[in-house]
Amino acid sequence: MKGIIQLEIWQFLLIYLLLVVVLVVMRVCRVDKTRQLVVASIKMTVQLILAGLILTYIFEHPHPLFVVAYLGAMTGFTIHRVLSKNRDLNPRFQVVTALSIVVAGVFTLVYFVGAVVGENLFNPQYVIPIGGMIMGNTMTGVSLALKTFREALQDQRSKIEALVCVGTSAEDILLPFIKQALETAMLPTLNSMVGMGIVSLPGMMTGQILAGTLPMTSILYQIAIMIAICTVVTCACFGSLYFGSRTLYDPKQQILHLS
Amino acid sequence: MEILHTTQALHFRDLIQYPDIRVEEGAFAFVTGRSGAGKSTYLRLLNGSVPADPGCIYYHGLPLEEYQILNYRRQVLLVPQAVYLAPGTILDNFYFYYDAQHQPRPEVERAEEFLRLCCLDIPVTASCEPLSGGERQRVFLAIFLSLATHVVLLDEPTAALDEATAHQVLGHLKAYCKQQGLTALCVCHSPKLVETYADQVIVLGGAS
Repeated sequence: MKGIIQLEIWQFLLIYLLLVVVLVVMRVCRVDKTRQLVVASIKMTVQLILAGLILTYIFEHPHPLFVVAYLGAMTGFTIHRVLSKNRDLNPRFQVVTALSIVVAGVFTLVYFVGAVVGENLFNPQYVIPIGGMIMGNTMTGVSLALKTFREALQDQRSKIEALVCVGTSAEDILLPFIKQALETAMLPTLNSMVGMGIVSLPGMMTGQILAGTLPMTSILYQIAIMIAICTVVTCACFGSLYFGSRTLYDPKQQILHLS
Repeated sequence: MEILHTTQALHFRDLIQYPDIRVEEGAFAFVTGRSGAGKSTYLRLLNGSVPADPGCIYYHGLPLEEYQILNYRRQVLLVPQAVYLAPGTILDNFYFYYDAQHQPRPEVERAEEFLRLCCLDIPVTASCEPLSGGERQRVFLAIFLSLATHVVLLDEPTAALDEATAHQVLGHLKAYCKQQGLTALCVCHSPKLVETYADQVIVLGGAS
């Protein structure tokens, strides 16, 4: 097997021509998302160029501080995105959510890199890409969990009121909502696990194969990362929902504050 | 003997101030007043599902704060105005609320008895979905009545009913409360019903 073919800049620019196809389809079907497509493409390009430059620098000058700073920025961005999509959570709920993301993310990353791969925890070549996959999936999962949870609480106000009236504890009332939100958040990960290898070759595995890794090695990494993602999504969502839901009431009065 | 007593210090978020109100044990009392006078809020304050200042609400002579709140809510049971019935049959819904209270599920005969009390001639195995608004309200009322032990707070229990049915239901309700020794507080907009069934009338925010 040989390593990946280096892309020349003019070869690389050819891929942008495909966007013209997308634009034509959008024009024909009158999909009014041209602006978003252009903005998204530019943002993606700029952000990835920056990431490439920064990673090049970090790989050439490996230092634990750089690795920690990079992971910190990723985590901070994840938390920011999750909370900005769920603005009406009370401040304590927001803190719980941020802590759950940090604890679940760090635990999974350390276990993966330190115990499973057996690599130095500050080796940027492993920690940063794996950390990125973990945080990216955490962001999607927790956003979805909180959105489902909040919307279900809003939709079912009469159910909640009736249960409060018959003297059901706030904890018992909230538990089915937590369960439902957790299920919803886990579903995409579980579905992608089911289809994996048949419907698609996943991104990380594809990347490794392109770079010349043996398929049997790359599937081991892929399986490991999928289990890690499943774990981190479950733990971060559970932490946010279970401990976050406790900020919605005080145990003595048992009055739910839903907004 | 008075069972519920709220002092003049009782107010809700400084918007609504309530007068000194006492309700006798076993009475069938009505709460009336114009819309927005705070009748529903008053009932919620009474069962502790919205917070009141400490020392404003007394039940059996003890302030609300002295009670374990979940037990208190079961004794001073509020039947909210917004009906919630889970998907399934009427009996499923009895089970739903009994399970929510961690109580043993009722016998079918008991459930049927409470449906009849609310003037409903439907089998308990009927699904709740096709029921009309008035029927749903009465199924909801029947379930809550079967859970009532001491005080029952009714927030417009006859809102979705025609006048004849409302009379019948309230008549049955009052008889049942007397027979069981229940104290009732009922929010109601119909002066006729109030006149016919009230032992005591509490007017909030001036006459309606």
